[in-house]
Amino acid sequence: MRFKKLIAVIAVLSMALVACTETSGSTTTQAGGGGGSTLAAIQARGTLNCGVNNAVPGFGFVDADGNYSGFDIDFCKALAAAVFGDATKVTYVPLTAQQRFTALQGREIDVLIRNTTFTATRDGSLASTFATTTFYDGQGMMVRTGEFDTIDDMADTTICVLSGTTTEVNLAIRMTGITHTAQTYENNDQLQAAFIAGTCDGWTSDKSQLAAQRSAYPESSGGPAALEILEETFSKEPLGPAVLDGDSQWAQIVNWVVLATIAAEELGVNQGNVGSFGESTNNAIRRLLGLDITTDAGTAPFDPGLGLPTDFARKVVEAVGNYGEIYDRHVGPNTPLGVPRGLNNLWTNGGLLYSPPYS
Amino acid sequence: MAALTTDGLSARPPFWRSLKFIRWSIQLVAVGLSVAIVFYLWNNLIRNMRASGISTDFSFLTQALGVNIAGSDISPGAPIWRGLLVGIKNTFALVIVGVPLLTVLGVLIGIGKLSTNWLVAKICAVYVELFRNLPPLLLVYFMFNAVILQFPAVENSWDLGFVLINQRFVAFVGFVGQPGIGMYWLVMGVTLLIAIWVWIWRTRRWEQTGEPHRRVAWSMALLGAVALLAFLILGGPIALSIPAIDGRVATGGYQGLAQYFGVLIALSMYTASHVAEITRGSILAVAKGQTEAANALALKPTQRLRHIVLPQAMRIAIPPVISQYLNFTKNTSLALAIGYAEITRITFQTIGNGHPAPQMIALLMASYLVFSLTISVLVNILNRRLQYASR
Repeated sequence: MRFKKLIAVIAVLSMALVACTETSGSTTTQAGGGGGSTLAAIQARGTLNCGVNNAVPGFGFVDADGNYSGFDIDFCKALAAAVFGDATKVTYVPLTAQQRFTALQGREIDVLIRNTTFTATRDGSLASTFATTTFYDGQGMMVRTGEFDTIDDMADTTICVLSGTTTEVNLAIRMTGITHTAQTYENNDQLQAAFIAGTCDGWTSDKSQLAAQRSAYPESSGGPAALEILEETFSKEPLGPAVLDGDSQWAQIVNWVVLATIAAEELGVNQGNVGSFGESTNNAIRRLLGLDITTDAGTAPFDPGLGLPTDFARKVVEAVGNYGEIYDRHVGPNTPLGVPRGLNNLWTNGGLLYSPPYS
Repeated sequence: MAALTTDGLSARPPFWRSLKFIRWSIQLVAVGLSVAIVFYLWNNLIRNMRASGISTDFSFLTQALGVNIAGSDISPGAPIWRGLLVGIKNTFALVIVGVPLLTVLGVLIGIGKLSTNWLVAKICAVYVELFRNLPPLLLVYFMFNAVILQFPAVENSWDLGFVLINQRFVAFVGFVGQPGIGMYWLVMGVTLLIAIWVWIWRTRRWEQTGEPHRRVAWSMALLGAVALLAFLILGGPIALSIPAIDGRVATGGYQGLAQYFGVLIALSMYTASHVAEITRGSILAVAKGQTEAANALALKPTQRLRHIVLPQAMRIAIPPVISQYLNFTKNTSLALAIGYAEITRITFQTIGNGHPAPQMIALLMASYLVFSLTISVLVNILNRRLQYASR
């Protein structure tokens, strides 16, 4: 009896063993980078998983009630509007700077929109593909008002910086030959606590983020006026959405959703007037909004074949507005951040925003 | 009937019915299965990483670190592996100071909890209950944000003569070698060997004749006398370097970052509360007859504790204390919450700067494994030497 039991156990175990080694081939192909359409997976799931920041007011911030808002958040909404026609179908996944690419690689998120700088290493080694830049930023230095005039004055100081970001590397390059302590923190809350306590002489980050942190500086510590951002910009920080390598359809979708907001601004389409172009004769606008194109040959719909509904841009603008509206709502001069458009203006206004033709 | 009986006796049972075979085969299958599972998971990881275009080897370790590390003069151009070594060194700095600190603190509080003095016993009991029941991460945050960040700014550092304290760093008096320092170290090295020999000689003599050995007094007197004499003869080969504030930094002395002390103190106090409980339990576990015998010999309470109770309690305490040392070592990773550059911090930083996470995490795990196994081995050797020979 005992012997038979033993044989049975061994047989089951060895079968399991064989099964393990055999299935390894099939499961890996499915989990691998080449498998499955991201768009189909999102549609089947019914919600877009968007990796975001939750601690930078104006870009990605979660309030006490758990509501997300900000510039980056609006692009998550725009994507959801494009895919589902419903901007609320987003699951926000708050990530730290260090978690973000691992989350993307592990497919926890479909897209990373978390003030992430487009760099060659991230493009090359981290299996990510960057879409059109949504925000042209640069690194700056924030100090207590009146303490320093330029970064070159900051010898022997302690400079606080967020860990796991390009900011650390840029700081090291900028401070070559200037003795300093680079004190890194894991999150902005701890960094702010240290800064308020006075252990940091400088706070370095992308200028937009510094503006955000400055706007939220507690009144008990002197409020925004207690801080100033030095003139110098010492790096290029093009921030944009990133997706996983290997699914060009999804990468194109993310790219064109961003471009659609820019195209809408170029064409003067905004949240208020987006519904009023039914009779318009401007074919550029009609194509963008998915309206039938009328030519001498007759009337025909326009579909560039991105895999999205033809009226996706209309849903996007209805949900969040064009690029200028998104900018003004969260970052622009009339917000606490008060960052002028600068490089983030249309090319026609001296900025870098330029949408390839949607045709 | 008879034939059957002889047959049954003479035929050996088949080999697969031997207990030895059964035990071995089960072990082998279990090992094989474990290896297969690990191999499967590993293979899956590597394939997926390759498919996503992520590098699967460790060649990135020679790339430039790219960042400065607080409290270290490593340059951004140094390779990543050197940065990891800085992290290991910083973790080690926490362990090497923290373990003795928490042991002394824990043992004292454990003894205090058994004190007949009501106040001492209650204070120690409150300490244990407070620190044992709070999460260590909370203690680290509290120690840094509510205590260390409230220290004065650099410009107004507390100057205690040989120690400077502020919210950025603590600077201690240091020693600077002057001409003749090499000779001095040589003399002291030789003297140390002689002192050890004196110690052994006094011990032997005591064992043979029963005269008081006074080995501490003998060897320390020798060391002290030579140290002083050599110092005077060589014209002061060692000078004190007293730290002073110069702008926002300190010159002279040895400096430690405030973050280091935040983690060190918080975790030492936390772990000491556990060690205190182990100490108390071990003392209570020493047979009551031992105490009574000591009393019968008219030993003073301090003598009783030092010569009778504690040596026996220590034997009981060592195994559970090892696991507290290991806990302390692993908990040092909480330092990343306040930005102290220990190994976990450096690992995460490197991952954040675009280097592959699986390899970095594997290296991190290996580092902690080495730390923990080293501590286990060292303390186990001690344990074996201290156990009763008869056990």
